[in-house]
Amino acid sequence: MSNWMDRGLGFAVPLLIALSVSALVLLAIGESPLDTFSLMLTEGFGSPRRLASTLSAATPLLFTAVATAICFRAGVFNVGVDGAFLIGGLAAVVAGFSLPAELGWALAPLCLAIGSVFGAAWLFVPGWLLARLEVDEVVSTLMLNFIAVAITGYLVNGPFLSRQSGNNVTPPVHEAAELSRLMPPATLHSGFLLAIALLAAYAFWTRRTPAGLEGAWVGLNRRFSRMVGVSVQRTIILAMVLSGVVGGLGGAAHGLGQLYRFTDGFSAGYGFTGMAVALLAHNSPLGMLIGAILFGALASAGTTIQLFSDIPLDLVNIIQGIVMIFAVIELGRISIRRRAKA
Amino acid sequence: MTFKKLLAGVALSLVAVPALAADAPVAMIVAQGGLGDGSWNDTANAGFEAGIAETGLEGRAIESNDVVAQGEEIMRRAADSNFGLVLSLEYAHGEPMEALAPDYPDTSWAIFNQVRPGANIASVLFGEHQGSYLAGVLAAKMTTTEGIEGINPEAILGVIPAVKSPGIDKFVVGFIQGARSVNPDIEVKVGYSESFGDPTKGEQMANAMFESGADIVYHVAGGTGLGVIAAAEASGHYAIGVDTNQDGLAPGHVLTSMIKRVDVATEELIKAYAADKFPGGQTLTFGLPENGVGLTEMEFTKDIIPAEYLEAVEAAKAGIISGDIEVWDVSSQGYPDFYK
Repeated sequence: MSNWMDRGLGFAVPLLIALSVSALVLLAIGESPLDTFSLMLTEGFGSPRRLASTLSAATPLLFTAVATAICFRAGVFNVGVDGAFLIGGLAAVVAGFSLPAELGWALAPLCLAIGSVFGAAWLFVPGWLLARLEVDEVVSTLMLNFIAVAITGYLVNGPFLSRQSGNNVTPPVHEAAELSRLMPPATLHSGFLLAIALLAAYAFWTRRTPAGLEGAWVGLNRRFSRMVGVSVQRTIILAMVLSGVVGGLGGAAHGLGQLYRFTDGFSAGYGFTGMAVALLAHNSPLGMLIGAILFGALASAGTTIQLFSDIPLDLVNIIQGIVMIFAVIELGRISIRRRAKA
Repeated sequence: MTFKKLLAGVALSLVAVPALAADAPVAMIVAQGGLGDGSWNDTANAGFEAGIAETGLEGRAIESNDVVAQGEEIMRRAADSNFGLVLSLEYAHGEPMEALAPDYPDTSWAIFNQVRPGANIASVLFGEHQGSYLAGVLAAKMTTTEGIEGINPEAILGVIPAVKSPGIDKFVVGFIQGARSVNPDIEVKVGYSESFGDPTKGEQMANAMFESGADIVYHVAGGTGLGVIAAAEASGHYAIGVDTNQDGLAPGHVLTSMIKRVDVATEELIKAYAADKFPGGQTLTFGLPENGVGLTEMEFTKDIIPAEYLEAVEAAKAGIISGDIEVWDVSSQGYPDFYK
């Protein structure tokens, strides 16, 4: 079973149960489950345009899932990817409209780099606190999420507020800072390719590099790792910083490729959905790809089916909620195992 | 009256019958916060449903958990699927709508609280300066009235706007103008909170104003204003709410709220569309004459407000509608001499 799950099929059971429950709900409200699910399938994957829309919705989740997995496999319970996403996103967007547009093609990569640096710095703090002072990372990273929401909320409502409008948005980034679209007019942008590249790099890092393997050892057994000469402290900080790099890049790509500015509601809880994806995929690259696409399809199709049916958004919330329950169970399982080890 | 209605009915049916009339369905994208927010989205949806019921068109309200990022995909999907009119309540959809509307010349689009160019886009603004004028009239009348708890004899009012921008100062200037129409020597303290989302700061600023003699403070500051209302309640003074009916947030301490009737706008847009008279390329302002702004019913405060004050507000409203009173609109006229 565990082996199956590690191969990326950890979604099958939760999804089947979620679909069964929502089928019952649909029957209860007098809608046909079959029609609804086939409509969702069509809206999610039925044409290249719909697929692009799904992948576009999956893009931020790919970043946040990888960012989460980097930490989780090293036994670091970082739940602060959403914060890194926000901080990296705002930093990249601010760079994108305040750096000179004359930088031309160099502007977009520069902004991405700035986003990743801010994300890394953001998660370095709880990483250092955990490694040196054993400050519980679940608490510190969870708190940091609230701080990130407060800081970005303050900045976008104050110093970085677009004077063109009374609402909570920054000015748009320069055109040169925008990430190009892959198949216009669909909103799928090159940030998706970056996410896929990161996913591949993650797969390589976890399996083929000493640092990646050490991370897994630390995750499995800290005492053993120490005995064989792995620096647990360094591994923890490295995992947090890399997670921040990926989370910050995710926010930067979302800002430069999807929204072109920072607004209130910049992250629709991507960090938490990404965490569920990583948990259910047991940190496996293929599993995370499947999971992110599933959640992306659910978000995208769940919205557009409302154009063609009377199915409310609540259906998506039911499906997503049930799948999330399994993620939480998984989280509980890991944390019990971890407490037993300590 | 009945005859007029009859005539209007005949006129409407004449317009509605020809094959020209729009019959493609209508979609309305619900903004962040979703339906059930008791505010902007719900108000708009009430007008949307009324418009749909009245025209017999097919209409769908679209919600998304990720409405900011998915905006463009939803709008394109709706237009590709032959929806004839797409309204978005989400402020962040203005830019993508402007960019994609030329790709769908046969679809009508509508956006709120901003002006977007495009032959098939209707931009909807509200006459907040006019509604604020009425709030100013009421506040100026109240502030020197003896015998009302929380009101001192000094002719001092306060305004806490979020940021110095034409869109926000439109409220401020309208309020000051209304207050001065009652008492030319009235002092209106203005303090910018520099934030829409900082209730603590709003509370501190409102308290400072109350301590220096103001007894009624109008907020134009979104979430920051919740602190203004909290301060009014704690200190026993008064706040004036904005955008939606905030009277119930601190019953008895929110004198009134300057409300935007987005429901009137959504209903009118759908009816215009159904009658094949969609105002594409136009900027519509829903002010007092259009019933697009106004004060609340003052459910919790009407007992302490003398009837003659309400009559003065009604008189000011009639004056604005008839054109006898012109309220300065910072967003279209720039800043007046009395407020720079």
